[in-house]
Amino acid sequence: MQQKSLTFITRQAPYGSNKAKLVIDAALAAAVFEQQVNFLFMDDGVFQLVQNQTAESISSKTIGRALETLELYGIEQALVDSVSLEERALSAEDLAIPVKILNVEQVRQLAARSDVVINL
Amino acid sequence: MKFSLLVSTSPASSQGAMTAYQFARAAVSQGHEIYRVFFYGDGVLNANALSTVPQDEINLPRAWDEFLTNHNIESVACVSSALIRGILDSDESARHKMTGVSLLESTQIAGLGQLVDASIQSERLISFA
Amino acid sequence: MSALHTISVSPTNGLINSCLRLVCPGDGILFIQDGVYHCCPPCLLDSVSQDNALFALREDLLARGLLCKISERITPVGFGRFVELTIDYDKVISWS
Repeated sequence: MQQKSLTFITRQAPYGSNKAKLVIDAALAAAVFEQQVNFLFMDDGVFQLVQNQTAESISSKTIGRALETLELYGIEQALVDSVSLEERALSAEDLAIPVKILNVEQVRQLAARSDVVINL
Repeated sequence: MKFSLLVSTSPASSQGAMTAYQFARAAVSQGHEIYRVFFYGDGVLNANALSTVPQDEINLPRAWDEFLTNHNIESVACVSSALIRGILDSDESARHKMTGVSLLESTQIAGLGQLVDASIQSERLISFA
Repeated sequence: MSALHTISVSPTNGLINSCLRLVCPGDGILFIQDGVYHCCPPCLLDSVSQDNALFALREDLLARGLLCKISERITPVGFGRFVELTIDYDKVISWS
């Protein structure tokens, strides 16, 4: 199968809407089909990464479990926009999974070199 | 040019679905190919055959149905998004022991692999939300 | 690879700032739906480089009474030109 570089940008907080889950599911599908997948957390999407979430309290599934599957499906690195973290007073130590933090120029390059960018 | 469209908003609650429809019509009228329209999340409600609207408003699911059929364009409603919103074809309806069928005839229910395939096969994937 | 960025929500949620972090020289920005409110005063687009062409969907401007109020930098386009723009650029990134 032809291979493209697909970048998924997740920009919504985890539980108030289903957008976060939609982006994860689409990225996992792309990984199953052996595409080159980048997964970038941006804006309120970085709230998905916060530690100690227990979404069972609102009868929802804690998003961290789904995020952990990214690596299992071969999406090796979760990428995070540094500006979005700074704007929310978050740092790498606050996050539940290991991530690679990208500066503005790296984020721009990522978008520029991707064949397809899915930004839900 | 070979396009695919990703539609993720409901016709009843935001303009994105109508923008997607208008874009699709414009692309076809210029002679471009639409490889697939993929309805995702609330976007599956564009394929709700049971949607009824006041007479002076456009019934977007019906408009999609006519457009997709006339131009022989494939459209897919994401299975997990569709089932949770009650968008069922006859197979799914039988499987889940429901009495009704609510999916447009022009649209199929399938998995996210069809979105990935559309991203790979098309020269442009345009997302409408 | 160049990109056409579409913005479909009003300026209130600040999405343009996120979008601009991904915009490269030579990229274009097309405002659609409520995004067209970016195109009238107070102009929020001064920080956008002159390297980046700015467009707005004419149908959405007309619907909202904005066609005669838009900044000179914005080129109104119809759906036909919208389709052409998606071809002129190598990919489309939508912001909503």
